[in-house]
Amino acid sequence: MENIRNFCIIAHIDHGKSTLADRLLEYTGTVAARDLTKQMLDDMDLEQERGITIKLHAVQIKYQSHDKKNCTLNLIDTPGHVDFTYEVSRSLAACEGAILVIDATQGVEAQTISNLYLAIDAGLEIIPFINKVDLPSAKTMIDTVKKQVVDLIGCKEEEILMGSAKSGMGTDEVLEAIVTRIPAPKGDPAAPLQALIFDSVFDEYRGAVAYVRVMEGTIREKDKIRFFSNGKEFQAEDVGILEMQKKRTGTLSAGDVGYVIANVKDVHDTKVGDTITLADNPAADPLPGYKEAKPMVFSGMYPSNSDDFGELRDALDKLKLNDASLIFEPESSVALGFGFRAGFLGLLHMEIVRERLEREYNQNLINTVPNVEYRVTTTDKEVIYVDNPALMPDAGKIEKVEEPFVKAQIITPTEYIGNIMKLCMDRRGVHKNTTYLSPERADIHFELPLSEIIFDFYDKLKSLSRGYASLDYDFIDYFDSDLVKLDILLNGEPVDALSTIIHRAKSYEWGRKLCRKLRELIPRQMFEVAIQAAIGSKVIARESLSAIRKNVLAKCYGGDITRKRKLLEKQKEGKRRMKRVGSVEVPQEAFFAVLSLEE
Amino acid sequence: MASIYIHIPFCEHKCIYCDFYSVVPAETGTEGYSQRQQYISSLKAEIEILAENKSCNESIGTIFFGGGTPSLLHPSEIEQILDTLAAHFSIEAGAEITLEANPGTVDKNKLADFRTAGINRISIGIQSFHDDDLKFLTRIHSSSEAKKCVKDASEAGFENISFDLIFSLPGQTLSRWKSNLEQAVELQPAHISCYSLSVEPKTPLFYMIQSRQAAQVEMERDADLYEFTIDFLSSHGYEQYEVSNFARRDPASDFKCRHNLNYWNHSNYLGFGPSAHSFWINERWWNISNLSEYIKKINIRTLPVSEREKLTAAQLMEEAIFLGLRSEGIDLNGFRRKFSRDLSAENERVISELIKQDKIILVNGRMRLTAKGYVICDEICQKLH
Ligand SMILES: Nc1nc2c(ncn2[C@@H]2O[C@H](COP(=O)(O)OP(=O)(O)OP(=O)(O)O)[C@@H](O)[C@H]2O)c(=O)[nH]1
Ligand code: SF4
Ligand SMILES: [Mg+2]
Repeated sequence: MENIRNFCIIAHIDHGKSTLADRLLEYTGTVAARDLTKQMLDDMDLEQERGITIKLHAVQIKYQSHDKKNCTLNLIDTPGHVDFTYEVSRSLAACEGAILVIDATQGVEAQTISNLYLAIDAGLEIIPFINKVDLPSAKTMIDTVKKQVVDLIGCKEEEILMGSAKSGMGTDEVLEAIVTRIPAPKGDPAAPLQALIFDSVFDEYRGAVAYVRVMEGTIREKDKIRFFSNGKEFQAEDVGILEMQKKRTGTLSAGDVGYVIANVKDVHDTKVGDTITLADNPAADPLPGYKEAKPMVFSGMYPSNSDDFGELRDALDKLKLNDASLIFEPESSVALGFGFRAGFLGLLHMEIVRERLEREYNQNLINTVPNVEYRVTTTDKEVIYVDNPALMPDAGKIEKVEEPFVKAQIITPTEYIGNIMKLCMDRRGVHKNTTYLSPERADIHFELPLSEIIFDFYDKLKSLSRGYASLDYDFIDYFDSDLVKLDILLNGEPVDALSTIIHRAKSYEWGRKLCRKLRELIPRQMFEVAIQAAIGSKVIARESLSAIRKNVLAKCYGGDITRKRKLLEKQKEGKRRMKRVGSVEVPQEAFFAVLSLEE
Repeated sequence: MASIYIHIPFCEHKCIYCDFYSVVPAETGTEGYSQRQQYISSLKAEIEILAENKSCNESIGTIFFGGGTPSLLHPSEIEQILDTLAAHFSIEAGAEITLEANPGTVDKNKLADFRTAGINRISIGIQSFHDDDLKFLTRIHSSSEAKKCVKDASEAGFENISFDLIFSLPGQTLSRWKSNLEQAVELQPAHISCYSLSVEPKTPLFYMIQSRQAAQVEMERDADLYEFTIDFLSSHGYEQYEVSNFARRDPASDFKCRHNLNYWNHSNYLGFGPSAHSFWINERWWNISNLSEYIKKINIRTLPVSEREKLTAAQLMEEAIFLGLRSEGIDLNGFRRKFSRDLSAENERVISELIKQDKIILVNGRMRLTAKGYVICDEICQKLH
């Protein structure tokens, strides 16, 4: 056990974690050079396409240190995007150390800080690695970045490693530092089993596959295992380690990272954060496990075809095994039928969930406009949480509505402070303070309504700082706001799935834009359609979509019939996918229209 | 009763909006003549090969020479084709035999000879009575030639004369179109087809519109012109019996085009020549749209079929709905017998709404479109299943 090292790689997005992992795989011969691909641990198509890591990825490598120790290193590559922080914090609990990667050309950014704090809280040994020194622009920055790192971590300058994950420079030092600086795991292979499930995935044939870090004891195939959370027992059928593929070893002991397959067919039985123990010799207590992720945004997810509700439930259940931060519960909508209200850590998370459902589970979905969760106090003093605007009580029954606020931390070169201040003020932000990390770098703190930053705030921030500012945020509390519910009506019929909750001061403009957008998206019908935005019974914006005047093919003779029929079949298929509101046919994109409302 | 379509794939010039299959043959003289001769023999061979291979024992009630420009053929060539057909099929005594003729390719004598050859209905590609419209469309004739052609045809003895007209040309005003219709009805043809100019992909017109050299008429204007057409013709003695087709009301004769009605009734038809489509019971097939390939196939005594499809009952039903709606309506009992489906009951909500809006009417067990319905025929078809 003293030759095992469990560590993860953490950083702000794009600082080069996965590329560094490539170098470690290559250098240690875990993957032959000819088989190596870029960011090879990012094995989901979506990760490769978007060039970002979405899931944590665990892999074991063997390394012989300079003093000839044969070491087993369990590496976990983590995502950098703020929406996937839950993956990071779960990884930390399976490790004793973390490599904190810092891009030499960017310096310390928001998630450098937030992920570092998570690692420190988890009691991990931190190894800072300044990456991308091969880039020309790194030269002038390196000293500044070193100083930032020293200030941030409180380490000595000599403890900072430097190199290039692209060229491989510094890889050897990283490996040596892992062996010499990160402590070996503790734990007793003979003690009662405590294995932490830090991730899982559903396999159609084999059921749930749990990824575990064994803290105490030993697990062997044929052992009768028990899940702490529900007391259910199963027989371990296949136990092994995680190399580039799963490798069956038959046993895992304290300090090890690996997988356990136990014919668990009901997806609800395996829970990330749960502890596995042995039925015959159970541990007294479970491991601390994880705090549940707190969803920030909510959206309705409906099957395009209302009959597919059951299938969607099944897909969500299975996906949740692999995405512990996803939550959902059934709901229904007049316009869309039966579906789910799902909670996400952010918009990117929502997009990824949607895409995974479509790709991995063949679902066809309609997403409604995302929103945050509101806290409503009714006139009879009841406090309720509303995560679906359609379920907002009538204005007359509301005493107050509060919305979630976050503490936002923005790290930026000083020249963009003015722009950023303006952006935050426009978003109803309250400036708290600004500190200077260095003469050129500011750390700005604002309190902002969450609803103001979930949409396009991040993109705006990036564009007005030429990509240099970074953002991190944490929920603080619910605060009173002058919020109203804005309804959309089509020919007088409210479209529940299009209701939004919005600050009164912004409601008029929003209503106007939304109506205009809907007029573009809804195809002309056989009758005129009035598109209205209303607050209560007061209409605040109106657009009208004139009736279709003509739609008929001029010629349809012997040679045109087949073509005409095929076209008609296609058109009918298109219509089938539309949703009816009263007699108006609404295309599915319309329910997501708000996201493409430009300023 | 079945029909036969003969495609004549030659034109003197390719019009900018046209997506029919036709080629411009080598200039006049012997070369053009020999190409035509070769085609006529291939066509005759195709008729023979098909007749040998397929037993089509239904009598033939209509024959249609379309194109291209069939009037480019010599009347004796038409006669040869009709003779070949008669040798292999049983042509009814009163069969409707139509020839499409373009002004500028015929004179009175030639028309009279066509008549002698057996043609009894002539469809004249007038398109417009305005020279600048004709110029825009790159037609080869002028408006005076168009009028002359009509006069020639009637002097040659044709009673069943049809006009083709096109509206919704870029920039066309209502009054301009109205004058076309006025000039047309003044000539009292038996039948008028009015087509809204459609911009077909890959035609020169399509590229002109893409590159903004011409402006496509907006839907509103197109609708105005079309609605006006329907009103105007019906108040001038013409009955609309299909989206684009109007027949003169005449107590003594029915001038609706029987050939086209057959298409819309799902009757059987055989098509000969490149790009021609055939439909027999529940199978549809169509020939390759390439003259030399066509001739090659015939030379090795193979049918020049490009594709075939066997229609499922659902597809036949789909077609019956849109073909019926765009023409004389759907006979609801007949429909039920044929497809075991009660169209009106299954679409009751939609249909009663459309009746309320005066877009559909039920008469004598038929469900048919009103003038208002024809305008959005395709929209209505999408709503019925
Ligand atoms: N020039 C240079 N580019 C690098 C280096 N390391 C990584 N990159 C590039 O930086 C980009 C991001 O690298 P990744 O390894 O995907 O970054 P990451 O930290 O894993 O990103 P996320 O997982 O999405 O947070 C890629 O285009 C890499 O090729 C380096 O040392 N030098
Ligand atoms: S004459 Fe008719 S078939 Fe020939 S090119 Fe013109 S429109 Fe087409
Ligand atoms: Mg990565």
